Amino acid sequence: MKIELMVNGALRVVETHPMTRLLDLLRDDMNLKGCREGCGEGECGACAVIMDDCLVNACMIPSVQAAGSWILTVEGLGAPENPDTLQRAFVEEGAVHCGFCTPGMILAARALLQRNANPSREEVRVALSGTLCRCTGYNRIYAAVDRAVKNGYNPSGDRSCEDSPTGRPNFSDAEKNLFFSPGTLDEALRILGDHPDLLLLAGGTDTGPDVKNGNLNISEAMDIFGLKELRGIERRGSEIRIGGCVTDAELGESAVVAEYLPALREAALLSAGPAVRNRATIGGNLCTASGAADLPVALLALAGKVRLQSRKGQRVLPVEAFIKDYRKTDLRRGEILREIAVPISAGTQKFYKRGSRAALTLSRASLALFADVESGVVREFRAAAGSMSPIPTRLPKLEAALTGQALTPALIDRAVETITDELNPRKSAEYRKALGGNLVRRFLEAL
Amino acid sequence: MSDAFSVIGRSLERHDGLVKATGKALYVADLDVPEAWVAGVLRSPVAAGRLRGVARDPAFDWTRVVVVTARELPGANVISMVRDDYEILARDRISFATQALAVVAAPDRAGLVGALAHLRADIAEETPVLTIEDSLAANIVVWGPEGRKAPNVIDEFFVRRGDVEKGFGEADAIVEGTYRTPYQEHVYLETQGMIARPTENGVEIEGSMQCPWYVHGAVARALALDAENVRVRQSTTGGGFGGKEDYPSVMAVWAALLARACGHPVKLIYDRTEDLLVSTKRHPSKIFHRTGVKRDGTLTALEIDLLLDGGAATSMSKVVLSRSILHSTGAYRIPNAHIRARAMATNTPPNGAFRGFGAPQSLFAMERQMDRIAATLGMDPLDLRLKNVMRPGDSFPFGQVMNEGVEGALGVLNDVVERSDYRRKHEEYKNRSSGSVRRGVGLSLCMHGGGFTGSGEDNMGTAVELEYAPSGVVEVLASSTDMGQGASTVLPMIAAEALELSPDRVRHPLPDTSRVPNSGPTVASRTTMYVGMVVRDAALDLIDKLKGHVAETRRLGEDPSYEKGIFYHGENEVSNFDEAASDWLRARGRLAGRAEYRPDEAAAWDDEKYEGCAYKGYAWMAQVVEVEVDCDTYEITPLKSTVSAEIGRAINPVQAVGQIEGGVLQSYGWSCVENLSLTPDGKYDTGHLNGYLIPTALDTPEFSVNILEEPCSVGAYGAKGIGELPMDGGAPAIAAAVENALGVFATKIPLTGEELHRLMKEREASQERGQASR
Repeated sequence: MKIELMVNGALRVVETHPMTRLLDLLRDDMNLKGCREGCGEGECGACAVIMDDCLVNACMIPSVQAAGSWILTVEGLGAPENPDTLQRAFVEEGAVHCGFCTPGMILAARALLQRNANPSREEVRVALSGTLCRCTGYNRIYAAVDRAVKNGYNPSGDRSCEDSPTGRPNFSDAEKNLFFSPGTLDEALRILGDHPDLLLLAGGTDTGPDVKNGNLNISEAMDIFGLKELRGIERRGSEIRIGGCVTDAELGESAVVAEYLPALREAALLSAGPAVRNRATIGGNLCTASGAADLPVALLALAGKVRLQSRKGQRVLPVEAFIKDYRKTDLRRGEILREIAVPISAGTQKFYKRGSRAALTLSRASLALFADVESGVVREFRAAAGSMSPIPTRLPKLEAALTGQALTPALIDRAVETITDELNPRKSAEYRKALGGNLVRRFLEAL
Repeated sequence: MSDAFSVIGRSLERHDGLVKATGKALYVADLDVPEAWVAGVLRSPVAAGRLRGVARDPAFDWTRVVVVTARELPGANVISMVRDDYEILARDRISFATQALAVVAAPDRAGLVGALAHLRADIAEETPVLTIEDSLAANIVVWGPEGRKAPNVIDEFFVRRGDVEKGFGEADAIVEGTYRTPYQEHVYLETQGMIARPTENGVEIEGSMQCPWYVHGAVARALALDAENVRVRQSTTGGGFGGKEDYPSVMAVWAALLARACGHPVKLIYDRTEDLLVSTKRHPSKIFHRTGVKRDGTLTALEIDLLLDGGAATSMSKVVLSRSILHSTGAYRIPNAHIRARAMATNTPPNGAFRGFGAPQSLFAMERQMDRIAATLGMDPLDLRLKNVMRPGDSFPFGQVMNEGVEGALGVLNDVVERSDYRRKHEEYKNRSSGSVRRGVGLSLCMHGGGFTGSGEDNMGTAVELEYAPSGVVEVLASSTDMGQGASTVLPMIAAEALELSPDRVRHPLPDTSRVPNSGPTVASRTTMYVGMVVRDAALDLIDKLKGHVAETRRLGEDPSYEKGIFYHGENEVSNFDEAASDWLRARGRLAGRAEYRPDEAAAWDDEKYEGCAYKGYAWMAQVVEVEVDCDTYEITPLKSTVSAEIGRAINPVQAVGQIEGGVLQSYGWSCVENLSLTPDGKYDTGHLNGYLIPTALDTPEFSVNILEEPCSVGAYGAKGIGELPMDGGAPAIAAAVENALGVFATKIPLTGEELHRLMKEREASQERGQASR
């Protein structure tokens, strides 16, 4: 495959395999060694680069998805002879120790400053939370970001150059019937109809680690990440419609989601570090059907539905019907998860997640709760739990115990008992049950 | 403070800062090695067994593959470490899961993967010993010759002082506790990697490491090569924390064997999964304390039984155990003590060096025991510490009398208490018992002995040269490495101070054993303190040489004086540093100052009696950590960490503070975030960073670090070791803060959600029992 991309302001044309990781493309083909592999699974952020103005982990981007993109690596900021203000600030503040995380850390800071020229300390912490540093304790790094801001660092996006790369890859003859990069949803559905076994590539945040760990070998794939028909969040009538390839970052930033689906927003913000959130998609999260997934838990409690489309037509399924088993969904051959529809309902909703640390972690337990209480009576109640069973599930016993009941302290006690009984996690059962009960109590008491 | 100095005490930028910040630093995986083959390791899937052989599948094409097993070794089947019990490759006996059975190289990764998949290890599996308890029971002998008096005991030390029975007799209360600490993985961001290039008569090694001469010795011995035919170079190293002290020798030996076998350079680079699953970890511990104490808090006697899980071979266990026992009574005056320490063998990967080197384990136990004593007496933990903290004239149980250099213990305690508002907060939080989100503050006091334990520094013979290069740059030639801690900035600062030159005139290039003398391994918080002192002496030697040269060439009849780069004869300027040095180069050739460590006869350690001066300089640290605990979700969030550290002299204050903050965060990670255990078949239970979590920016408290300076006479410009000190006190401080918040007493870490939940249930149950019995 031949692709064009802009790297550090220069147009590059490269020949590579569609599934070559952007990390390897940058390191091996372009000799940009500042992009480093610390884990190869999107957990450490050492390989982070800025792609189309978003921070991404280069270990999770197959080259086919880099076609036509604008990439900024640490080498594009400045060299030792002419470092930019941010690089200088890292050195001046003692934020560079072993240096291995430094390029990714600098780019994470840069991605933040491109959007927010004067971030608060908390915003800096969140923006850097996907980049691991084992040397500094992070404090010197915050000081470096502060100093860059004080020194007037105000970077803008990268797309100012005249030569624009061509977006579509040019596949070799051998690749032509195996890899696809369609421009429209119709084209994608047609290809999928002819090649029903190919893998749909969305954000790559699950497939990347699977390939790295030898659990997946991608010999046929179609990139759908950029399809316009799968993007966008809008209110339509009494529903919020979310495109299948809307990212966790977009969910987190959307005003519509913030207003109508705060539990989903919380789930998206807590799902991973910024570079992963910039690629991870809501459709991908549903289709992977992992027990520890965050978004499906919120969608279950919000009575979300998925709209699946094939060449032949569409069908709509509730989320609980779509996710059938661990890593198994009802997505049929030839279908693409086109959008998620969530009804707007008056009521209170909340998403809770507990990992083993504050950021970027697999959920140990998650809970989404929705309640509509009117004149002291629970009119409607929905609950879902994640990481408690092989797949995220609704909690029908808890829902039944609360629906239609007067919200009294006795009811809350009964709710805690019910969920403790209903949750049956395989590992650390007592702790997870207690956690579930406590969170239900916290939620109900706050109503 | 440092007005007397021109370079020392300034927060100069790292000399390698810009190269790293612009992505131009080259780590081992970045090095372009033409024609290199890639290497991999065939590992044991079982923790114990007999290896009958490693067979090659005849159907596979082996023509472009080299395989080395224990039967094809040119030298002894030993990785040189403390004791000769670490095999390069298993020969007959498998003693831990992931043990190497064969190493393989092929021209590319696909060939390597294919070859590894076509090797069959024939193993008769046996029952492994996976815990300290089973090792002590010794129903199965894992280590040591059969019939040994104490099977499975890799090493054992005793410290005895005073009369313990008498001490317990004087006590008003006797307090007991058993404390446990888990594994810890270093998670240096750069994984382990090594390159070996075959040469005509030997091999060249380049890679990520802390200790080039350790690697050199191990390779020369394993391959039966003459020392001059082995050359070892450090590549830019992305973090070490002890993890690149011992293990790189193993990697280098394997790569060297393969390079000699295939005739090509060989690259052996671990990905994160392999690194997590096979590299060394911190020794887990189980430590029993029994303490006698008077009503006023005076400690009268103490017994400790300290056990470390050493894994299947000695590796570093002997020295880790020694440092562990010598730090086991903390910073307190103990009149009567009986301490026993043993490193036990198990069928687990040999545990290795990790920042703190046994001290974080024994100090966790001691500091928790102090908190338990305080709770028993109804005393504030701070007052108990103030009562017993070592003061001038006090001595450690191993006999070292602390006349000077001990003021820091009380100094850091007072300083941290004042800056953190500890007393008020501790009282306020203790009495708050409602609400699901609580706060607590926890205090700890610890110390760390700088440099090798006991006679280690005297035996090491640290040597350094300072060479004046024709370009005018002075190079520090030392085997000490920069792994991120800043040695390559600090050692030149020390040289520049002594040479009275601008620090940008001095460089510390990546060590290369063909150029640098042996300044020892970069471990034990010894580099700034001890190597720095020798750097200073080498600088003085360089100036002396030039003085002699100027005196001779200018026929002065006596040595000139030297100040700030100028040689004076009386009042007259006779030469400057560069003129004199250039003249030396023209007239005599190479110009280098040289110095070696001078043992201090007055401060001796007796290896036979295991007593005396264990460390010539102790750095002290007290911290108060404030946490928030969510009783609904069992989450602990460190909010603020106030640290006071007495470190002799901060050569580069910003770097020193960075070291302290990074180390303290690493200790908080060990306390409540990081979590690694064994699977039932003796393997580490995760090979991924989504399983082994380390603190992120969001897990980091606000830091407030204050450095106190009581210069140490044996350290460079008064510096004491600081690399490991910050790792020592974090875990007990976190546990104490949780105790303050919830009234639960943790005896083990990590304080995971599950563990906190268990402790809270336990407390509820005991409260209910308490009410029922009333």
